[in-house]
Amino acid sequence: MAFYADKDYTQDEAVLEAANQVMQGNLSLHWYDANTEKIKGKPADLRRGLTYRDLDIGGYGYSSIPEYVRTSQSMVARGSEKWGKLPDMGYVINRKSEIWSDNVTSLYEEDKSRRWTPAVDIPWSELDAHPLAPEMEAACAQLYTFLQECALVSLHFASQWVPVINQDFIEQKSWMCAQMLDWARLNEAFRKRALYGGAGLKRASVTVEQGLKEWLFAETFYQGSVSINLSLGGFLLVLCRHAAAFAPSRVDRALMGYAMQDTARQASYGMGQLRYFLQHRPAQLEAIQEYVDNTEHVMLALLGSPEVLEPLIIISGGGLEREQVKAGGVAVSKFIRMAAREYFERIEAAGLSRRSARSRIPAVIDRIEAPA
Amino acid sequence: MSYLATRNFLEDKDFVDKWLYTIRTGELDLSWMNANTEKVKPHQANPRRGLTYRDLDLGSYGFTAVPEKVRLNRSYAPRGAELVEGLPDAQPWVSRKSEVWAFNTESYYEEAVSRQWNVTTDIPWERLDGVELPETIGKALSQLMTFLTEVEMIATDTPALWLPRINPEFVEVKAFIASQAMDEARHTEAFRKRALTTGWGLMKASPMNEMALKHLRDADSFSEMSVALHLVAEGNVLTLFRFSEYLSPTDVDKRIFRLVMQDEARHVGYGMQHFKYVLENFPEKREVVHAHLDEAENISFAGAAATELTESFIILAGGGLKRENIEEGIKITTRFNLKQMEEHFERLEKCGMPERKERSKLFQMFEMGKAAAEAAGIRLN
Repeated sequence: MAFYADKDYTQDEAVLEAANQVMQGNLSLHWYDANTEKIKGKPADLRRGLTYRDLDIGGYGYSSIPEYVRTSQSMVARGSEKWGKLPDMGYVINRKSEIWSDNVTSLYEEDKSRRWTPAVDIPWSELDAHPLAPEMEAACAQLYTFLQECALVSLHFASQWVPVINQDFIEQKSWMCAQMLDWARLNEAFRKRALYGGAGLKRASVTVEQGLKEWLFAETFYQGSVSINLSLGGFLLVLCRHAAAFAPSRVDRALMGYAMQDTARQASYGMGQLRYFLQHRPAQLEAIQEYVDNTEHVMLALLGSPEVLEPLIIISGGGLEREQVKAGGVAVSKFIRMAAREYFERIEAAGLSRRSARSRIPAVIDRIEAPA
Repeated sequence: MSYLATRNFLEDKDFVDKWLYTIRTGELDLSWMNANTEKVKPHQANPRRGLTYRDLDLGSYGFTAVPEKVRLNRSYAPRGAELVEGLPDAQPWVSRKSEVWAFNTESYYEEAVSRQWNVTTDIPWERLDGVELPETIGKALSQLMTFLTEVEMIATDTPALWLPRINPEFVEVKAFIASQAMDEARHTEAFRKRALTTGWGLMKASPMNEMALKHLRDADSFSEMSVALHLVAEGNVLTLFRFSEYLSPTDVDKRIFRLVMQDEARHVGYGMQHFKYVLENFPEKREVVHAHLDEAENISFAGAAATELTESFIILAGGGLKRENIEEGIKITTRFNLKQMEEHFERLEKCGMPERKERSKLFQMFEMGKAAAEAAGIRLN
């Protein structure tokens, strides 16, 4: 055991006596006049219910969380009275700018209200009635195999940081738990789609996994968030939009529609976090630029991996015939340019100005020649 | 960076050239099309339930086929995909099935996804408008909610901490654990929101409970963590929720407790099935878990001694601070305490650990408490 409670309570006479006193009716009521703010929160808009924003009041509000959280390291709910010997939970993220984004509470509320269930919300039987051609189904199976790798890495990212974030950032942690469920659900949906089509899963991608592991294991949360939330989330949003547009079945279109909703939230948080970080830590601008300089190559791993590129060409062109592959190549060229353009738009809008001028990616993208 | 990919893709001329060539010429490699994987054709066993994870329990893709010791896949590849040389190691700590598995895991997850609820809109907050609870009840309710917010916090951090440590082959377990983290975040939200709508705000922290609860997170193995979190702590909390629903001062509070009970019962269900699986498939773990339970049951003692919780519970149960209220509150609280302990040992017995009673100090306390209660005319059932 890494931790034992500070005492064996079964052997502590004073503690047992205190409990006995209460059960004999001698209440201490030491908590009765807690030194805390008295408030009565109400929904601002009854149709929307009681949101976290409605409770952004006084010392309870997230607006009043300071940049440095120095006085809380335990499980105490923000705003309640601390007393006695509280455990140190060992949080390593205690600065608001490292994690916060102004849209955290909105994204959390949206996440809950847009819940969906892959088991029943996708019209799976459509694939029984209208099975795809074998090459199209194989391409889908490969694409969904890749998407599961992305979903798992994203799931790990949110999970690994939740327990080390100070409990005062309760809305932030709640949002990240919602992200965890989002990625578990997308992972489920992608797996179900791949297997239901009959082609099984396909090949895991060394290129993709090597790149994603580099992003996942960023040294700080804010660096990892730029990679996983903004870059990967944004990339998947564009990919899902493209796949929805060229979807070979109603099942794929429906699935990609839900996936777009979920991935859009990840990208939105990633942008908001980077913006908040740079607004409050402007001196870190160059350090973040340098981090992105070093890790941006992973974007190319995603765009260029044959396990991603080739099935996308087949799906976009509608098959493996020469003309289909040609049409698919044209469509995928556009997709790649779109993914790159949106990536730079997002990251620059979040505060990494002139990123596209500094990045080595545009020069590579410029070399793309669509099939004649 | 703490991990570097085996190559920098922007600097890998061959990689970039091949990529550009493929797009330009349309000459596809297509070797992935012949991946050495199984072809299966799942069907929906019950179309009303849709396509479930259980429907995918086929061949090498199925959870049934996962071996006791996962030796082959340590990457981010989904179970059943073709594994090729060069995949990175995801660094899982838990690669043994009996350390994480539970009969019905996939169904617990499916249920969690389909029963997601929204604290913001599924609780009739508007009904609190104009409700003025007596000061004693309002403060006691706020104190209870303050404590529950603390409890739910550790129940969020703990599954989140363990999830990335679990081998990716156990995709259904990871999915369930993710759903649990979200459930607990929702509970934290519910209890915080309720405390902040009483007019009294949050109240006092519960140091003794916190000190005892920290050990839930810092267990040596997933199984030990699960026994302490899912079985002991959440089992206790489930009983607490049931009693809290009974003594809730408003319909809004009853609604909150009914909804959180659904979720908590699922977590306890997983914990029981997992523990049973451990005892049946990893028998040498029995003694380890006994030792861990010795510590976990310490939580129950700490909880009983945390007067800020017990006292608020007594006031809510009795309906006030007058002598007769307190007497009634103590009777109900005594029943609650005993019920909590009784159910704890019932669960352990059902899982296959009937001998726990002989070893447990908590069971001795239960028997003494039960005898004293009966002598005072308080019947447990």
